Amino acid sequence: MSNSLSAAPSRKQAPLWLWPLLWGALLLISVVAMAAAEPLFRWIEPDARQVIYARADFYVLLGRHLLVVGVAAVVTIVVGVLAGVLVTRQRGRDFLPLVGQLASLGQTFPPVAVLALAVPALGFGTLPIIVALVLYGLLPIVRNTLTGLQGVDSDIKTAAHAMGMTPIQILRQVELPLAAPVILAGVRTSVTINIATAALGATVGASNLGDPIIAGIVNGNMAYVVQGALTIALLALSVDSLFEILQRQLRSRLSS
Amino acid sequence: MSLMDALPTPRLRWEGRRPNGVLLSLSVVMLAAFWSLDAVSVAPNRIVAGTGYGALEAFGWPGVLLATLLLSAIGLFAWQPSTQHYRALLASLMALMALMPVGLIASSYLLIDPDLPQARLGLGAAYWVILFLLLLCLIEIRLRLKLSRLWPTLLLTAVALIWWLCAALWLDSLALVQEFRARDAQFVRAVGQHITLVSIAVSISVVVGMLLAMLMRRYSRLQKGAFALLNFLQTIPSLALFGLLLGPLAWLAAKVPFLAQLGVSGIGTAPALIALIAYSLLPMVRNTYIALEEVSPATLDAAKGMGMRSGQRFWQVRLPLALPVLLEGVRITTVQAIGLTAVAALIGAGGLGTFIFQGLGQAAMDMVLLGALPILMLALVVDAGLGALAEALRPGGIQ
Repeated sequence: MSNSLSAAPSRKQAPLWLWPLLWGALLLISVVAMAAAEPLFRWIEPDARQVIYARADFYVLLGRHLLVVGVAAVVTIVVGVLAGVLVTRQRGRDFLPLVGQLASLGQTFPPVAVLALAVPALGFGTLPIIVALVLYGLLPIVRNTLTGLQGVDSDIKTAAHAMGMTPIQILRQVELPLAAPVILAGVRTSVTINIATAALGATVGASNLGDPIIAGIVNGNMAYVVQGALTIALLALSVDSLFEILQRQLRSRLSS
Repeated sequence: MSLMDALPTPRLRWEGRRPNGVLLSLSVVMLAAFWSLDAVSVAPNRIVAGTGYGALEAFGWPGVLLATLLLSAIGLFAWQPSTQHYRALLASLMALMALMPVGLIASSYLLIDPDLPQARLGLGAAYWVILFLLLLCLIEIRLRLKLSRLWPTLLLTAVALIWWLCAALWLDSLALVQEFRARDAQFVRAVGQHITLVSIAVSISVVVGMLLAMLMRRYSRLQKGAFALLNFLQTIPSLALFGLLLGPLAWLAAKVPFLAQLGVSGIGTAPALIALIAYSLLPMVRNTYIALEEVSPATLDAAKGMGMRSGQRFWQVRLPLALPVLLEGVRITTVQAIGLTAVAALIGAGGLGTFIFQGLGQAAMDMVLLGALPILMLALVVDAGLGALAEALRPGGIQ
């Protein structure tokens, strides 16, 4: 949602695969060869004993980060789209106003607060951060699914009905494909936000790319913070540019 | 479709009498939670995890009967919804919320051993689940009765007052109350710091954001670059941005004594404010830009035709028409800043996040709650307040 405003017109001329390749390659280089940049980090922190975060390998941290974000994304997409579909059906229509309100209200809950409330219930570790990410990421997806499904012209649905399609066929072959670009935009927003938010997991004992940042803040070592921030930003940019491609392919398939 | 809605067909009238599925299922889930989950937990001291007690042990037979009755009443009224029934629903909802602390008082008499002054009562899963579901019921009833946002806010304030009164007078054994008593001065200071940080950051970003948005409208070249930069800033985790500002600011404070005298240093308020403003700029600029752009050209043409000068057109036509969307931006920005300020506690900026991270460090969950709950409430109050303001500023003349 945020990116569609600025990114779409500016990248129109660039070749399709350029950006994800570029960001992905940079991410890979930074993860595998962070130690090679030691002189640079030495310049940032001349007095520190160690300038490259070494408590865990960066690719391990990246893997854990991706795992947390991925699990959260799968759960959010399944639950969010399902909820959006159910409340727009005839039987679930009662729930539509409430779910709509919740979707707009939910962004009000700060992720730190959600995380802090999840820890007493679920203990330390990876589970609370996944729960916090799911709760926080659910809302853009539900909101966009509702917008997308409600945006489908009722004449088209009537036409499909008149052609003898069953409600499930209408949903699968008419409504969902037509709503897909809007839903995908919601997924994109949700995943991009969650990549950055997942770093907070490091404060509740879930090891991921937030670890170097926390270690850097605690020890006053800027080099660690830069390494964590750089990797997370590159990851976010890679994933975001992949979504850009997906969206553009979806759009071109719909218009053809 | 609109024609169909307008026709008073018998089917539509029948639909009005259909059971309200939302409230019905919420009532069933609440009953199930009430009977199966732990109502309260009792811990011998601050760190040890408490043992859970079911509703029967916690409230005794009279309490359980009363709560079951009220919870089933929600379901019964929802079976045949009408305006009267929705009002009755609202009343039983309020009764339930007002009775919740009374139940806690009862269980503190029943379960807490008076010989153990350290013993503390914690809210069990049933309490949280039912409280959350009751809030959902409240939203649903508000929508059905078509009440304005102000009503639930007033009702919840009344309920909060009852909770506070009970907590202050009779709930000495409640864990949250004990945590608060142990550091009440610190708590008040933290709330003050939190609000101060948020309001300074938001007011600066409102001014800067509006200026930026206006510049963008004038120089379209600037628009692309600025949006790309602001979008990029959002991909950096808040944690990292706070951390990244520590070094340069410490360096600046060491090199420029004047800045150090102003209170700028590596840790604390300065990096927190800068990061908060940086994050707040994107929603602010985006909404201001969209708000100013979306004003209909026909209206502006009419203003021009009436002989208004360009400055007049901006201040008297474009800005007032853009105000609701602009306020929406302020709302998003403020709510986001309230959450981010909690993270700023990690770099020593104070605020309510201090309790969260200290509590996490000491594995003292009640202290975490002491930080998280006020943040949540603050966010909700600001959201409701600014939302109501934007609604009020959107009279019939403005689409």
